[in-house]
Amino acid sequence: MNRRAFLKTAGAVAALGAVPSMGRAQTKEVKLGYILPVTGPLAFEAQLSLNGLQLAVDEINNAGGIKALGGANLALLPGDTQNKVELGNSEATRLIDRGISALIGPFSSLVAYSVRQVTEKNKTPFTLLAAVADNLTEGGLRYVFRVQPNGKAMSTLTMHNMIEMAKAANTPIKRVAMMHEDGNFGTTMGNHVEAFAGKLGYALVQRIPYSLKSPDFTAELSKVKASKPDLLVISGYYGDSKIIAETASKLRIGVHALVGLANAAYSNPKFIADNRELTDQLFDGNYWHNPQSARAKAVFAAYERRFNSPLTSHGVQAYTVIGVLKDALERAGSTDREKLRDALSKTNLADHILPQDAIKFDDTGENANASPALLQVQNGRPVVVSPARFAEAKPVFPVPKWHG
Amino acid sequence: MTADLLLQAVVSGLLLGGVYGLVASGLSLIFGVLRIINFAHGAVMMLAMYTTYWLFTLLKVDPYLSILVTGPAFFMLGVVIQRLVIEPNRLAAEHNQLMLTLGLALFLENLALVLWQGDFRTVRPSYASASFVVGEALVEVPRLVACGGAIVMALALFVFLRLTDVGKAIRALSEEPEGAMLMGIDVGRIRAVAFGIGSGCVAVAGALVTPFFYIAPDVGDSFNIMAFVVVVLGGMGNFVGALLGGFIVGAAESLGATLLPGSLKQLVVFALFVLVLLFRPAGLFGGGRGR
Repeated sequence: MNRRAFLKTAGAVAALGAVPSMGRAQTKEVKLGYILPVTGPLAFEAQLSLNGLQLAVDEINNAGGIKALGGANLALLPGDTQNKVELGNSEATRLIDRGISALIGPFSSLVAYSVRQVTEKNKTPFTLLAAVADNLTEGGLRYVFRVQPNGKAMSTLTMHNMIEMAKAANTPIKRVAMMHEDGNFGTTMGNHVEAFAGKLGYALVQRIPYSLKSPDFTAELSKVKASKPDLLVISGYYGDSKIIAETASKLRIGVHALVGLANAAYSNPKFIADNRELTDQLFDGNYWHNPQSARAKAVFAAYERRFNSPLTSHGVQAYTVIGVLKDALERAGSTDREKLRDALSKTNLADHILPQDAIKFDDTGENANASPALLQVQNGRPVVVSPARFAEAKPVFPVPKWHG
Repeated sequence: MTADLLLQAVVSGLLLGGVYGLVASGLSLIFGVLRIINFAHGAVMMLAMYTTYWLFTLLKVDPYLSILVTGPAFFMLGVVIQRLVIEPNRLAAEHNQLMLTLGLALFLENLALVLWQGDFRTVRPSYASASFVVGEALVEVPRLVACGGAIVMALALFVFLRLTDVGKAIRALSEEPEGAMLMGIDVGRIRAVAFGIGSGCVAVAGALVTPFFYIAPDVGDSFNIMAFVVVVLGGMGNFVGALLGGFIVGAAESLGATLLPGSLKQLVVFALFVLVLLFRPAGLFGGGRGR
């Protein structure tokens, strides 16, 4: 094929491609923008969120779209942050310019902190995904909403669940050590675990922030071991959490339990499948679904069929955010950002798959009933062991193997 | 602070330091001969780790045995990269060459992301969790093997550079490029070989860490940043200095973690980096002589 023939063909293909998209523009659609770090260091986790978004959007579209808008379909407009603040801002602006009704994302709290100023200025509802830092809803913002527990709810409720569980097992937790990655996420968790020590009745005997890129944690964990804690709490991402658990096991760390706090690995099915022996009886306080919910089971099955991998908490959060937006769109009856914002603020959604009561937003945009689940890996599967009304199994505590 | 903790810190720091040293040896060799700072070094390591992973997963090849494949294969890959990408830009301004290797690194990382997604992978041979205790210090067998392997590899490189004609040519080129050319050394070929050896070294390091590490597209960064510090510490272009520098950085990092609160251990390493640049810019052991 010579150059001219190629250009002709390419032109024809492009023209063909344009026809259906023009056709689509006439049927009404609701544009939802997402910004996620789909490339860069958090690409793996971001993909899990994206899968959840896509599953929910397709489910809604296949069931007839947004009924209050004449069956309008939801359309997801992509944005890639590469986990960088500048890109988060520019991608958010670009998507807002393209007429999205709401923005979803952006995974990292640091990026979220900056992007929320863009959404506030442009009066665009911004439903946070995975970003846990407490300060994201501070400052009298009108357009930021967060479904998942923030850092404070996540850490204090998880510690509360652990302490109560330990009491019930007649092995009270008095000394706690914590290791967390030194970014905004880990530091937020660390601050709460430290701040709530007095209230929950334990002493934080070691607190070790660490860099995600560090290839070895033997020295840190030796320090932890020497401080003789009853519990080791770990807030981290995937690779670092893996090495920490492995090294803790080899050092015979001597705690009653290892518990992840919003940990990206310890209740992650892939991590568990790859490290069966290591992960057995690990605890993790995390975003989760309600295992007692029939709808949750159906969503899990649908996800597994489509993506050939198990649904994770990132996917559950993303799936839920779309559900919340859909509910608000139905009530708003409009794609107008201001109307959608008002509808979101009046959310009272009981039909969801989270381990909590109805989703409602308080004045700051936080989900007032947000709650993490306490999980434990049993027989190669993370199961909910607390709070009791959502529990599907009894916890194994203290965990014998850490005393080796 | 007990003696046990310090002993543990030194032991685990030195074990990792050997790997830093091997990664840095390759980087240092490339710098010495080609006078470029190779930002793609970590990305090459990442590719080698994926190769190790696939050999283990698909063909059940032991990670250590796979070095026999990855070493030579990545030597060849290095030669090809040098010929196709680096050599044509050899006379370009230095900042362009920096951008070139940085671009290459980004390209390789994103290629890995496309090919294998951001998914974390692990290789778990039967000995992955083997460990023993010396005194009160824990020694993990895979880390010990990695350190030993790195030392052997670095020594082999040293002997190669001392005793073989190609090795001598590499040193000559590193020491005195124009003189080497006047002596009839095929400098183009030697540059390619040097880049190949550097890539081979980092590939071996990649295979050695795979049993105790994880594999992801950006995994090379952890080692690459340290390798830069090590190269500066050991003296640019000084291969033995790179190995010794690796041990120093590994131990400093680990002792920093023991003695200082929180994530200051990285600070120790980078403070060392700045101090050496300020007061011993040629490195602790002198640089650029191809020693």
